Order: sequence, then C-alpha cells, then structure tokens
Amino acid sequence: MSRTVVSAKNVEKIVETAAGRLVILDGIDLEINERETVAIVGASGSGKTTLLGILAGLDSATAGSVHLVDAELSQLDEEARAGVRGEYVGFVFQSFQLLGSLTALENVMLPAELRGERLAEAQAVELLEKVGLKHRTTHYPRQLSGGEQQRVAIARAFASNPTVLFADEPTGNLDTLTGEKIIDLLFDLNQAFGTTLVMVTHDSRLAQRCDRTIAIEAGRISP
Amino acid sequence: MNFNLVRRMAMRDIRSGEMGLLLVALVVAVGTVTSISLFVDRLQQALVQESANFLAADRQISSSREIPDSFRIEAAAQDLRIAETMTFASMVFAGDVNQLVSVKAVDASYPLRGKLLVADEPFREGDVATGVPVAGEVWLDSRLFPALDVALGDWVEVGLAKLRIGRVLISEPDRGGSFFDFGPRLLMNIKDVPATEVVQPGSRISYRLLLAGDEENLEVLKGALPLEPNFRWVSIRESSPRIGSALDRAESFLLLGGLLGVLLAGIAVALSAHRYAARHYDHVGVLKTLGATPRQILFGFLSIMLLVGSVAICGGLLVGGGLHLLIVELLSAFIPVALPSPGIRPLVLGAVTGLICALSFAMPAFVHLKGVSPMRVIRRDLGVPPASLWLSYGAALTGSVLLLIWYSQSLLLTFWTLIGAVAVVLVFGTLSYVLLKSGRVVGMQARSGWRLAISGLQRRSRENTLQILIFGIAIMLLLVLVLLRTALISEWRAQVPEEAANHFLMNIASDEVTAVQQLIDDNATAGDFLYPMIRGRVVAVNDEDANSYQARLSASRGDSGPRLMSERNLTWTDTQPINNTVVSGQWWAGDTDRAEVSLEKDYADDFNLSIGDELSFDIGGQLIKAQVSNIRTLEWESMSPNFFIILSPPALRSFPSTYMTSFFLKRSEKVFLNQLLTAHPTITVIEIDAMIEQIRSIVDRVTQAVELVLGLVLASGCLVLVASIQASRDARMAEHALVRALGGTRRLILSSLAAEFAILGALAGIVAVVGAELTVAVLQSQVFQLEVSVHPWIWPVGPLAGALIIVIVGLLGSRSLINTPPMLVLRGLN
Repeated sequence: MSRTVVSAKNVEKIVETAAGRLVILDGIDLEINERETVAIVGASGSGKTTLLGILAGLDSATAGSVHLVDAELSQLDEEARAGVRGEYVGFVFQSFQLLGSLTALENVMLPAELRGERLAEAQAVELLEKVGLKHRTTHYPRQLSGGEQQRVAIARAFASNPTVLFADEPTGNLDTLTGEKIIDLLFDLNQAFGTTLVMVTHDSRLAQRCDRTIAIEAGRISP
Repeated sequence: MNFNLVRRMAMRDIRSGEMGLLLVALVVAVGTVTSISLFVDRLQQALVQESANFLAADRQISSSREIPDSFRIEAAAQDLRIAETMTFASMVFAGDVNQLVSVKAVDASYPLRGKLLVADEPFREGDVATGVPVAGEVWLDSRLFPALDVALGDWVEVGLAKLRIGRVLISEPDRGGSFFDFGPRLLMNIKDVPATEVVQPGSRISYRLLLAGDEENLEVLKGALPLEPNFRWVSIRESSPRIGSALDRAESFLLLGGLLGVLLAGIAVALSAHRYAARHYDHVGVLKTLGATPRQILFGFLSIMLLVGSVAICGGLLVGGGLHLLIVELLSAFIPVALPSPGIRPLVLGAVTGLICALSFAMPAFVHLKGVSPMRVIRRDLGVPPASLWLSYGAALTGSVLLLIWYSQSLLLTFWTLIGAVAVVLVFGTLSYVLLKSGRVVGMQARSGWRLAISGLQRRSRENTLQILIFGIAIMLLLVLVLLRTALISEWRAQVPEEAANHFLMNIASDEVTAVQQLIDDNATAGDFLYPMIRGRVVAVNDEDANSYQARLSASRGDSGPRLMSERNLTWTDTQPINNTVVSGQWWAGDTDRAEVSLEKDYADDFNLSIGDELSFDIGGQLIKAQVSNIRTLEWESMSPNFFIILSPPALRSFPSTYMTSFFLKRSEKVFLNQLLTAHPTITVIEIDAMIEQIRSIVDRVTQAVELVLGLVLASGCLVLVASIQASRDARMAEHALVRALGGTRRLILSSLAAEFAILGALAGIVAVVGAELTVAVLQSQVFQLEVSVHPWIWPVGPLAGALIIVIVGLLGSRSLINTPPMLVLRGLN
C-alpha cells in the first residue's frame, strides 16, 4: 500500500479584515498518497489556491495540522518549512515565475544551487533536453514564448527530484494547443519521476486526467 | 545561495538597469566625498602652508623672556627645524638724524616659511633674499632711507653698534597685523645684538622661537614643554585671528557641505534600494518556493548589496579622483601655489562613506526581503509586510549620526543638524499629511488633469507625504548651503573691503596736519580724517591707586591679565567714530564741557570698569580725571584707527598731541610714500597692504572651494529628486495605464502628472523654506558665529522653484508612463 505524502486534518484559515473575520478554509481533511495525481477544483474565491499554498508549506494554517512527507508543517517555522520545500517539493505556476535575470539553464539549476549541489549544470541540461529546449539554454525568459517559459518552469520543478509536485493553473496563461502539450509533458515527466501531483485547476478536462478530484466550495470540501 | 549565483544575479541586475539608480547613488556618494576630501585636503594643506607664511613658521613660541636652551633641545629631539628672532624698539642714528625703529634680529635659519623680499632701491618691488643680513650689516625699510637721509652702503648706529646698510627690506613674512612693533623695520643679525648693548635688564624685548616640521611632532613638543605661564604657543589661528576665523568657518562649511552631499546621496541610496527591493518581491517569492530559507535570502541579497557596493565604491573613488583632478585643473589659474600631494585619508573617507551608506541606507530594504511570503507567487494580491520602521529609520539615523560626527568632528554641529532634520520631518510630515487628507474626493476624478492629480495625491497620501518630505529636505539642504555660502562670503568680503585702509600714518605733528591731509586728499584713493594721539596711562580708578586696584582685581580673579597702568594711545573727539557702536551709556554731546571718557567693551570688562567710574590719567606728568560715560564695541576689521580709550575734547584739547590717520593706496600709487616722507620725514608709515592682499587671496581661494562644494551637493540633490520620482513611478504607472486603457488621453495624463508634481514641488518648497530659515538661523548663531538674518527672497522663490524643478525632473522621469502602451504596462503589472 502507498504511503500518505500529503495530509490535512481539520485545517482552518481565517484572516482578520477591516470588515471582520473572513473564513477562507473551514475544517479541511484530506490525504494524498504517493504517486497519486489529484486535482483541486472550485470556483474563484472558494479557497483552493489558499489550500494549495498551505499543503505546500508556502503558507501556514490558522488551525489544524498539515503533514508533508515526513514533516508536520504546522509545527515548523518559515526557515524549516523552506528546508522541507527545498527537499520534497516542486512547483509549476500559472505565470511561470522564472527569474528574469537568469537564463533558462540557470533557472533550472536554481533549486540544486540553493541546496548547494555542485553537479547542477549537467542535470539541468538533461532536463531541458527532456522538455525539448536544449537549444534554448542560454536564452533569458523574455526571449522565450509562454509555452517555452512553462517548459523551463516544468524542468525546474523536476530539477529537485521532488516527492510532491504542486501546480497552480499550469495552463492558465497558455492557448489551448500549447496548454495541452504542456499538460502532456507534465504528466509524462510526473510518470517518469514517480512524483505525486497536486494541481489546482479550473479546467475540467485537465481534472479528469487526474486520479482523483477534490472540489472546494466556500472553504469546505464538497462531497 | 552560493557566491556564483549571487554574482550572476548582481551582475545581471546591474546590466539590466535594476540596480542602476542604486549604483549611481552610491557612486555619487563616494565620488562626492572623495573629490571634496581630496580637493579640500590639498587645498587645506596649501592654505595652511601659505598661512604659515604669516608666522614665518608653522608655530612660534613667544615670550618676553629669553627662550631657554631646553626648548631648543626638545625641538631638535622632535626633528623640528628652528629659528630665533628678537624684536625690540630702539632709536637708530645716522649722523645727526635719528628715528625710532622696530628692530628685528634674526638668525641664519630665518624665515622657516615664506620669503624675505629685498631690493637695491627703496619703494621697489622686491626679489627673494637668499639669506639674512650677515653680521655687521642691517637691512632697512624703504621709508627709513628718506627718514634718515641714507643710502645703501652708509652706516647707522643701533645702540653702541655701528652697522652697514646692506639692502632695502621690502617685506618679511611675519610682519603680520600686530601694531605692537610700531615703526619702520630694521633687520639685523642676531649675532650683533650683544654689541649694541641695548638689551639690558628690564628692556622690553619679544623673543620668538620659530618652529617648522610635522604636525604630530609639533603637537608632541607643545605637550612636552613647560610653557605656562611665561611662554606663549602661537599658531596661525591665534596669531592672526581674522585668517583663523575665516579658515575655521571655511572648514566647517566644507565639512558641512560634504556631509549634506552624502546625506542627500544617502536618501537617494535608500529610495533606490527600497525600489529595487520592491521589484524583487516576486523574485524572492519564487526563490522561497524553491526552498530558499529566509537566512539564505538575507545572505544572498546582502551579498548582492555588498558586491554592488564594492563596485560602486571602486567606481566612486575613480570618479572622485578624476573629478578632483578636473577641478584642480580648472582652478589651476587661480591657485598660484602648487598643491601638495593628497594623503590617503580622502580615499579611505570615500570608501568608508560608501560602506556606511550601503549598510545604513540600503541594508534595511534588503533585510526586509527575507520577510516576503512565498505565497505571493500564487496570490499576487498578497501584500508584503511593511519594512521594520525601527530597522529602516534606526539604521539610517545611526548611519547619519556616524557620518555627521565623523565629518564634522563636532557634536554640536551633529546635534543641531539632527534636531533640525527631526523637527522638519515631524512638523511638516504631519502638516503635509493633513493637507493631503483634507477634503477627500470620491473616485479618480478623471474629468480633468488637475482633478485627477489631486485625487491621486490624496489616494496615495502616505507615499506623497514621504515624497514631499524627501523633496523638501533635499531642497532645504540646498537652500541651507546657498544661504550659508552667501552669508559666509559676504562676511569674509566685508572683513576686507575693497578699499579698506592699507596704510597707517602716525607721529604727525600738529603743525603738519593740514599739509598731510592735503597730500593724502590729493594722492590717496580713499582717506580717513586725522585723529589726535596722546600717550598716557591710567594711574587711578575712583581715586584708588591703579596698582592696588589691579592687585585687588587679580586676587579676586586669580589671574594676571593685561596691565591697567600700561601706557596707551589716547584720542579725543566730539563725534562718535564710524564703526564704533555704543553698547551702554551715551555718547557725549558735541558741546560738552565735562571731562568724559569712552571705553572699548573688552577693555572695560578686563578691568571691571563701568559707567560712572572715574579714571585718573597721567599725561606727560600732568594729571587729568574723566568719568566713564559710555562703553563701545569696535569693528577691528574696518582697518580704521581704533582706540580703546577716547576722551571728550575738554579733557585733552589743551595737551600737545601728534596725529594719526589711515588711507587706501593702490600699489601703483605707493611712490607717494616717498614724496610724503621726504616732505615729512618724522612721520611713521605702517604698510599693511601686503597683509590685506594675503588675506584677500586666502578668502578668494576658500570661496572657490565653497562654491565647488555647493556644485557637487547640487548634483546629489538632483539625484535624490530623480530617485524619489523613480521610487513612486510604479504606483503612478499602474493608475495612469488604467486611465489610458479606459480612454484617458495622453494629454490628460500629462496635465495630471504636471499638476501632481507641481503641487508636490510647491509643498516641498514651503517645507524647504521654513526648514532652511530655521536651520540657517541655528547654524549661524551656534556654529558660524554670524549674525542671524531672515531671507525674504526665498519665501516666494522656494515653492516656485520647487514646483518648477519637480515638474521638469518628474516629467522627464515619467516619459515612459506616457509613451508605453497601456497594455504593456498592465500586463507587466499582473
């Protein structure tokens, strides 16, 4: 039986605003197993992005506990959570989020460099080859198309050999055709690396490609 | 983050222009300090060297007692060069003719600084002498030749010694402005002094030991010698207070100017660092999602800052060095003396300033980056926690205080500058905020540029308050510098007016008055009237013997000040002399029949004399009594005859007196002295034109340096304006792109921007004017010892100039706001 790599128990996220308390997440319970692909869906403002952030250790919950691989995130400070992210987590974002001041190759090398690994370059070249961008290694993000930028981002996400890959609307900024190619690439690499995929999306066709779909409505998981 | 990554990110940021303004601001800070310090360092060395000519040495030890051998041995041990002089008054005889002269006996090393000028004919331009008079020889002032009716090669008698006239003495470096050694100069060799036998117990002789060498060694010597109470240590500042105070004020001003330049550049550094940081929030968010810890972020960005700081420091040192060479080249025509090589200190000063600027002004923005939430990567609407106010302002304040103390070496100057800055920030920050907040309008009011501007100002009232303060402080600092420069320069110029008297005539007999007055009126460019001069001494105060009065005074004060019963020059007049201000009591009526006396304030204070006291004078054996009716202050700088003691006409009119006067003579008119002395050989002429010229040349040079500093600080000020406009550019860009996307014309945006900048500039101008007036008043009274004055002209000029400058700089800096297609702007923002 597969082990659980992501779990949330009674997770709440409440923020104080000028207009009063705003409940964003209200008692979320979930478990995601190793190598599973899960889509989190919901309307705008339902809290799905906030949930992704909390599960990935980018944000902390107001109450409840979140387990990521071996770490209990709710008991860690930002310094330790960063360590967990660096070790277990990869990200793909809607707006690609490449560093404009680094080339494609340097962007892919970044996670390994942050961990202080020396053989970052060879591995990064190999990954860029896998996403079909070996000839674009020295290009800066602004010299690449949207689809190419997202491929670099995918290569970077797998550069740390993550246990869990979190993706936030990975095709949101791309046209349909390019989006489909990117998704194919994402699922192929996910398969090849044996990674667990947790993806926030609006796209029902994309959600259907996942093993499981979790729907969020007004901060709760809808049955 | 490893070093390679840091280096790559830093270099990429520099290349892409992200670091541009920060880099330029740091380069300007370092460059300003380096060029000012290099130039000032060299100029000060040159000024000190030239000023040292006034002493003919770097320092003097002066005394009415013989200088002990131990002093010479100690000076030699400190590796200092020494020379000795003796000055005394004596009668000199040439056949039947005699004349009171001021004898200066010097040894072969004299002078240690400056040059003796001699000629072979009286009243000529001199050439540099190669030595001093050899034993058996004297050199005489030009005016002694007609007075004694002698020529070169003739013999004169000084005391019992018969000495041959070798050269005409045109000038000596340490003639100075002291009126103690009256009379024309006779320069002789110190070896001949014993033969004259004029030095007897009780003779009034001024002994001087001249010293030259390293500043440090001089200071060591000063500490090592038992100087008090009989020996006086003399430096240029004590010896010539006029030049001393000009130098002091110039130094304070240059330091203040350099400092303000750095503080302005510091503000620019802080603004551009915060903008850089703000543009890197997403960057940090991404790094954090990839596993970068807050510590790694902190280390990485601080490393980037230090790397960029190091590049800026190197660049700044090069720019500063180049700029200073350019300045030296530009001013070379005006600086006749060769500037000594600069020391290493200015370079160290520049580098350390760059480091302090980077750490205190830029660092808080970089430290703040570690707090950016990684959630920002998926939730752009998430704000960033504000930078710690304590850290931002604490670091900037600490850096400013460090720099202030280091530059000014004065806690007083530091204190007042800080008080001024804090007061301005508090008072005007609140005022600007309230003004901007009042009458809040609804919506963006995009119907007209003017309304759009006002609504924008109000919506971003916090940012705009800060911007008004920054603009205001920048303009204020510039105004402070302009006002102080004007005050200082006019003060210096006033000390030596263009046609200040540069010759004094003394010993004019009463039957010569009309003829001499006529000669002066006919030949001199500007003259004064003739004052009667009578020698006399105070012998009693309120019928108490002057000796016992002084003994009582000294006992109560525990010191031995000047002597009350010394013989002094007295004069009488019915009208209050120009440049004399009565500070207590009243000037006597023109037809008074009472014996009244007017005292100079310091003199009255020294002897504890006040209005109503009765002074008894001994004048040539006759006693007169006069009552103190007023106390005056004098303008010593006026170069007019000044008297400590003036009596009313009834007190002195009946006494025989000689007369004195002063007048201005151009160099080309100096031959008139020959005519005057031939016709009136017993008159004593004191020439101070060389000294005045020297003072004026120093003042001119200091003025140039002051103006140069002002120029550099202006450049820093402009940089702050650009940085500040850049810092607020992103917020404006977002709003205006939206207005344009919704149909706003370029003209609307342009007029709105112009109106916004004009309002900001005008408000900043008001802040600047009030702040500048207050700061200048405090600096004038507390630091520069000048009279406090208000400057009505800056009140309209400040806000108008503020509006104009900010509109120009602002529109130039916002061109892209108008020219970039709104789509690009909006896409870039999302």
